[in-house]
Amino acid sequence: MFEYNKKLQYPVKIDRPNPRLASVIISQYGGPDGELGASLRYLSQRYSMPFDELKGLLTDIGVEELNHLEMVGAIIHQLTRNLKDSQIQDSAFAPYFVDHTTGVYPQFASGTPWTAATMQVKGDPITDLSEDLAAEQKARTTYDNILRLSDDPDVNNVIKFLREREIVHFQRFGEAIQLLREKLNQKNVYYMNPAFDL
Amino acid sequence: MEQKKREKNYMEGRLPSSAPLANPYVPFQVEFTPNYEPRKALVRGTLFPGLELPFMGMINKNELPVTPLTELQALGFMIQELALYLDTHRDDMEALELYRSYQRMHKEGLEKYEKMCGPISHKSVSDGPYRWLDDPWPWEYAKNREV
Repeated sequence: MFEYNKKLQYPVKIDRPNPRLASVIISQYGGPDGELGASLRYLSQRYSMPFDELKGLLTDIGVEELNHLEMVGAIIHQLTRNLKDSQIQDSAFAPYFVDHTTGVYPQFASGTPWTAATMQVKGDPITDLSEDLAAEQKARTTYDNILRLSDDPDVNNVIKFLREREIVHFQRFGEAIQLLREKLNQKNVYYMNPAFDL
Repeated sequence: MEQKKREKNYMEGRLPSSAPLANPYVPFQVEFTPNYEPRKALVRGTLFPGLELPFMGMINKNELPVTPLTELQALGFMIQELALYLDTHRDDMEALELYRSYQRMHKEGLEKYEKMCGPISHKSVSDGPYRWLDDPWPWEYAKNREV
C-alpha cells in the first residue's frame, strides 16, 4: 500500500527560473530513461520475482524512483516560476509552453509523450534484472548529459544526488543477480525460467 | 601502506570463485566500512565512499541548512540506503544494528518536525484544526525556505 509523506527525499530549492533548462530536464520525468519509467518498471517486475530478496529490492528501489519522480517534478516546477515574456518566447521552451503552459507533463526532451514502450517486464528474473542494470546506466548517462548542459548549482546539486543513486542501484541489482544465480542450476542458469517453472 | 590497502579494499568488491560463461557479474560489496555520517551521506547521495563515483570530479559538497526537515531527510536517507544494502546482505549484523538505530532516531526526528511544521502524513496524530492543507507543500519554492 502506498501513502504520501509530505516531504522530498532530498531538498529542491532553485533560486533562478530557467525554462530552457526545464525543457531538457523534463526527460528525467517522462523521457525514455526517466524516473516514471524506472518506478513502473521495477514496481511491475516485482510480481514475477520468485525470491524474497528480489521482491524486496524491486519494491524498495521502485518506491525510491517515485521519490525521484517527485523531485524532478519539483525541479521543473521551480525552473518555470514567474516567467517573463522573453522566457516563454525562448525557442527551446515555446513548444512545451504552447502544449502545457507551465504544467509538469511526462514527456521526452524531444517532445514524445511518455510511453511504456521504453520499458519491459519480461517475466524472467535474469532478463528483467539485466534490463534493470542497463536502465540504471541509461539514467546515469542522461544525468551526465544534464550536468553538461546546466551551470546552475541549485539544480546540479540535486542532479548529482540523483545520478549517484543510479550507481548505488546498479550495484544492488548486480548483487541481486548473484543471489539469484546461487539458487539456480549451477551448470546452466538458463535451464528454465524460475518465475514460471519453479 | 596499511592505509593504502584499506582504501583499495572498500573500493573493490568480490567476484564469485566460479563464474560460468554468458552470465552478468557485478562484484559483490563486502566492506560495510568506511561509511559516511547522515548529513554527508545525503549530500553525496550514498552512504558508501566506495560507491561514490562522480561525473568529471563534480563532487557534491554543498552544505544543507540544519533544520528539522533536513535532519529528517538525512535520517530517512540512512534508512533507505541501509535497506537496499540489507536487501542483498541480510546477514550483516553490523548493518542491521545501524539500520535499527537510525529507525529510532528517525522516529524522534519525525516528532520534532511535526511539532514545528505540521503533519507529514494522514497517520500523524494531532489536535486542533485540520493542518494537512497548510504549507509547506514540498515542491513549492518560496514557502518551504525556512523549514
